[in-house]
Amino acid sequence: MRGRVWFDRLIVLLVLLGLWQAGSMVLGNYWLSTPWNTVTRFFASLFNGELFFHGGYTVTEALAGCVIGGVPAVLLPFLLRRQPIVVAILDPFMVGGYGAPKLAFAPLFILWFGIGIESKIALVAAVVFFIVYFSTLSGVRALDTRLVQMAQVVGASERQVGRHIVFPGAVPAIFAGFRIALPYAIGGAVIAELISSNRGLGYLVQTGAMNFDTTQVFVAILAATLVVHAFIAVVDLGERLLLRWRPQGAALLVDHGT
Amino acid sequence: MSATPMLEIKGLGKRFPARAGREPPPWIIQDMSFSVGPGELLTIVGPSGAGKSTLLNIVAQIETASAGEIAFDGERIVSPEQKALHPGLNRRIGYVTQDDNLLPWRTTIDNVLFPREVQGTLDDGARARAAELISAVGLSGFERYYPHELSGGMRKRAALIRTLVYDPPMILMDEPFAAVDAQTRTQLQEDLLRLWSLKRKTIIFVTHDITEAIALGDRALVLTQRPARIAAEHPIPIPRPRNVKDIFAMPGFAAIYERIRADVQ
Repeated sequence: MRGRVWFDRLIVLLVLLGLWQAGSMVLGNYWLSTPWNTVTRFFASLFNGELFFHGGYTVTEALAGCVIGGVPAVLLPFLLRRQPIVVAILDPFMVGGYGAPKLAFAPLFILWFGIGIESKIALVAAVVFFIVYFSTLSGVRALDTRLVQMAQVVGASERQVGRHIVFPGAVPAIFAGFRIALPYAIGGAVIAELISSNRGLGYLVQTGAMNFDTTQVFVAILAATLVVHAFIAVVDLGERLLLRWRPQGAALLVDHGT
Repeated sequence: MSATPMLEIKGLGKRFPARAGREPPPWIIQDMSFSVGPGELLTIVGPSGAGKSTLLNIVAQIETASAGEIAFDGERIVSPEQKALHPGLNRRIGYVTQDDNLLPWRTTIDNVLFPREVQGTLDDGARARAAELISAVGLSGFERYYPHELSGGMRKRAALIRTLVYDPPMILMDEPFAAVDAQTRTQLQEDLLRLWSLKRKTIIFVTHDITEAIALGDRALVLTQRPARIAAEHPIPIPRPRNVKDIFAMPGFAAIYERIRADVQ
């Protein structure tokens, strides 16, 4: 079954590469680089350190933005758990912040924070904050009140309820929030670099397009995609380690002896 | 009953608050009075939806009463003037609910020790007590399992001993064995009676199953359909120790069963 899935995936991949190759042959190498050129250039850039130089910059921006935007986004719903009125007051502004096209703020952030790394981090933080905030909030709201009552009956204080019931219950939602936010974090960093930068994967895209070097554009996009996949793999690993308590689907045990 | 009752309920009533523009909602519990003696195992039988859970929620102080008073060991704990709820009455009332309410992110042993942890009494004594209870209900070997890895009966046992681990003098039980198969239920009832005979707690055990009420109780109260009131009171004359599996065969079972069934609407 598993082998079959991998085999079929390989076929889909080959079809996609074939379409890409055909497109490139029809349109010409100049407009659309070939898969082969992209892959060879990718490895060349990887081994000469160019990808690490630019990719590392983008990853740094994305990670710093995830921390700066993500930490308050996780804390806020917990701090406001007992203040439903404050949450209600904030709600339209949070929804507004969530809905606003943050990428359109990139020029403003560059104006405010300069063309260095700070403006990119600010943009990523703004993007990540709202996604993680709403995901955490839904996790806090999905709280099972029966578990809270159980804890209160055995003598748990409000603070202990927060620590032992609300927080562990919201952890899956926090993970889900970060998993959704990560591609946007990398995307935000790349877009900000596109607009104004002298380093990063976005800079590679920008200079590649300027020099009609479509191979370089594809290499940068491929690198950004692989970075997102690596990030999500790390989140998945963390989730598997931290959320071992969650059922994995299959029934695991039958009752013996009763 | 000569001694001070452990729990005394007088004229208890419950209705949910009226909404603007609607008729006041009906009473769920009305003018209910009864008492429970120290070390007594009182069973309460009533049809589904009769307000049994509401009654226990009020005694456990996770819901307010609309009328009446409750005294615990001579001290008034529920009254019309009461301002705030004190869930679990400062650890003196334990509550085993219909759902096991185990914390899914804690293993069996950590769930059982949860009350001791939040009470700040998680010491070697607590661990020893937990180990003793775990082996008493046959959960040895499953200490490190998460709730989703346990069967329904095992989860019920874990929930039961989670309450016993901190020794509240009174325990409320709300159909704790309703959702398991008949064979497991008998086993759980035997576990409960054995644990109770070792440490005589005051227990109020609510059930819709007449056989269960007879098998476990010193005395059985029968509730009416809404609003819940006491319809009848039956001492259970079957001597202890009881054989839960063959409770049908015990002398006197048939007679008491018939009398209770006649009172259950």
